Amino acid sequence: MDLVSAQVPAGFPETHPNELTEEFYLNMGPQHPATHGVLRLVVKLDGETVKGVVPHLGYIHRSIEKMAESETYVQNIHLTDRLDYLSCHMNNLCLCMAVEKGANIGVPERGEYIRIMICELQRLQSHLLWWATFGMDLGALTAFLYGFDQREQITDIFEDVCGARLTMNYFRPGGSYCDVPDTFIPRVKAVLEGMEKSLDEYADLVGGNMIIQERCQGIGVLTKEKAISYGCSGPVARAAGVDYDVRRDDPYGIYDRFDFDVPLGKNGDCYDRYTVRIEEMRQSMRILEQCIKEMPSEGPYRSKIKTVIKIPEGHSYANVETARGLFGTYIVSDNKPKPYRLKYRSPNFSNVNIIDEVAKGFKVADLVTVLATLDPVIPDIDR
Amino acid sequence: MGMINQLPKVLDPIPGGKMVVNAVDYLVNWARSNSLWPLVYGTSCCAIEMMATGAAKHDIARFGAEVFRASPRQADVIILAGTLTEKMSKHLEVLYDQMPEPKYVVAMGACTISGGPFYYDNYSVIKGADRIIPVDVFIPGCPPRPEALLYGIMELQKLIRGESIRNPRKPGEVESEPWVNRHQEAVAEWEKEQEAVEEEIAPQRAQWKEDNPDFKAFKHPKKPVEDLEKMEYVPREKRVGAEPFALWNIVHEKFPEVTLHGIEEVTEEALAEKGAEYIPDFVVGTEQYSAFVRFLREHADTDCDYIIQVTAVDFVDRYDVCVHLMSTTKKHKIFVRCSIDHDDPKIDTISHIYLGANWHEREVYDFFGITFNNHPDMRRIFLFDEFDAHPLRKDFDDPSRLTKRPY
Repeated sequence: MDLVSAQVPAGFPETHPNELTEEFYLNMGPQHPATHGVLRLVVKLDGETVKGVVPHLGYIHRSIEKMAESETYVQNIHLTDRLDYLSCHMNNLCLCMAVEKGANIGVPERGEYIRIMICELQRLQSHLLWWATFGMDLGALTAFLYGFDQREQITDIFEDVCGARLTMNYFRPGGSYCDVPDTFIPRVKAVLEGMEKSLDEYADLVGGNMIIQERCQGIGVLTKEKAISYGCSGPVARAAGVDYDVRRDDPYGIYDRFDFDVPLGKNGDCYDRYTVRIEEMRQSMRILEQCIKEMPSEGPYRSKIKTVIKIPEGHSYANVETARGLFGTYIVSDNKPKPYRLKYRSPNFSNVNIIDEVAKGFKVADLVTVLATLDPVIPDIDR
Repeated sequence: MGMINQLPKVLDPIPGGKMVVNAVDYLVNWARSNSLWPLVYGTSCCAIEMMATGAAKHDIARFGAEVFRASPRQADVIILAGTLTEKMSKHLEVLYDQMPEPKYVVAMGACTISGGPFYYDNYSVIKGADRIIPVDVFIPGCPPRPEALLYGIMELQKLIRGESIRNPRKPGEVESEPWVNRHQEAVAEWEKEQEAVEEEIAPQRAQWKEDNPDFKAFKHPKKPVEDLEKMEYVPREKRVGAEPFALWNIVHEKFPEVTLHGIEEVTEEALAEKGAEYIPDFVVGTEQYSAFVRFLREHADTDCDYIIQVTAVDFVDRYDVCVHLMSTTKKHKIFVRCSIDHDDPKIDTISHIYLGANWHEREVYDFFGITFNNHPDMRRIFLFDEFDAHPLRKDFDDPSRLTKRPY
């Protein structure tokens, strides 16, 4: 597409030219630092005001669902890492849970605690990275350095536990592939101590900044009805007032044992999405603290599973709350070691869908803020 | 750099001129290698490790490469962080062309080397970035650690320091061979090598057996067996949301032809037997499909206001379109399933009931070729228009793109 085009690009309704101003179309992406990867947006502008946004997806479509049909269930776990690589433990968990439901596999007590702790650490890590890049998108580079510094400590824990820094492939049906080392609990404690000290400071550093507040408050407002109708989930939906968290309302694993709040926003603007995520980090820390107290120090971390897992004919569905929202796995099986069809429901896919509704009427610069607070991971959208 | 490139012609004949040229060479290379400005280009997972390399702990600034530029016109090196797909490859070519000379390419991660984990049974990933643009340094790993990326940058610096005005750098070659399955070749080669090795060591092996006649009695130490138990799945005891039998009664009253998938005779006991995690899966005809979904949304007791996903399954003789709904107020889930004809797959849209269904239906159209009647924007969503097949159909086969897994 040309940079400024007279032709109406695909996805836009036919327009009726205005006598006073001239509308034009601007291409943003797929190579653009603010789109967090390779998302392409075609923006209809009137001066600097956004009149409409049409996202073009598929620049990182890696046909994971097709590949899934020729790999066994356990082989498929490593592919879920690469969907939403910032919450890969949760993605692993979702596939494992769907397999467990279908193939009738149980998880021991300690295994459940390991899962929850690792997942909550991952949520912290993911939100820290979001906080870091959110600052950078808006031009505040300090947040980037602080956020990554804190994030590295959690990455080190993961490295200690499973050997990988980013694509973990740690959970298996029935538990996880290995036990956590002895250093795990002390390290988590150390991270929590550090986070408790610095989280308020972090929240203040970016959220308390007047420029950031001016750029976020009242910008990119998403209403509750729209959020539900589009199928938004996670912090994006909760900032708009949708009171739904899979961990609380459809508890999986042992989440029903823990005491935590689900933060909600009032206005559904960018600033609410910011505060909801910061509050979620606090709640994750609360869950982690409870886990440390209650986790059994001994016992099996995994149940014994068959080498070849077969799911009887039928379907199996599981969903989890990743750092970005409702992630679902839908398995259709035909009693063979490989799935007949495997469908991942990715939260980002629905969350990015709202960008036209949210950014309309604001300036181009606000589009960057909106994208930063939606926090999309593009490979998860494209799969 | 035009004038500097003329230096050897002028200076070399002069006594001592070669030293001057060498000094200029050294200076230029020193400057270039220590101020590599990378382009902000990250498509997937590797980009996060690239960011981590730029952050405080690993600090790419130690190598003078911290100035990430958003425009290719200001960049010296492009770090290919992440998978390269067919749709993106055209854009990568443009990016590469826009970079000013001298330009360098670092391929980060397994995907850009060979397609990595996405090599087999994959129709969209380019199997190696060097099929599109010449690559100078490859960094293996999935994703490579920040240390590996730093090592790659150091290798690139070494490469640059070897350049000279007399013989300037030539970019690497672009791989143009067709996509072949090298697995069988590699296995055959390895077996051949092993045979040669076996032959070579055969006399030593015989000698060793002679020297140690009781070698057969030797036993390898046993692997420690982990003390693990088999466990049964423990479903949740308390149901979330409405009871499936209550939902069935509501639905059955209005739509008597609707059935439940996998249950022949619906009774309260039959549904209670399924456990508290059972999600009712209604089977509905194509004519009623749209009206049924609208009913589920608007009825006060079902109240399915949230759409989880719309998807389809290819059962070779038919397609099943599956709609997964949820109620954010009552917290229960309802699945709807509608079988449609395999030869002429068409179904009504529900994108006017749920705004979010728009994209899900486009995805189903893209993958299965199922057309949704009255859909406002029925275009492909992930794949490009030139892609002339629907890949998630079971009969999809495209030898030019797909490499079948040989094992």
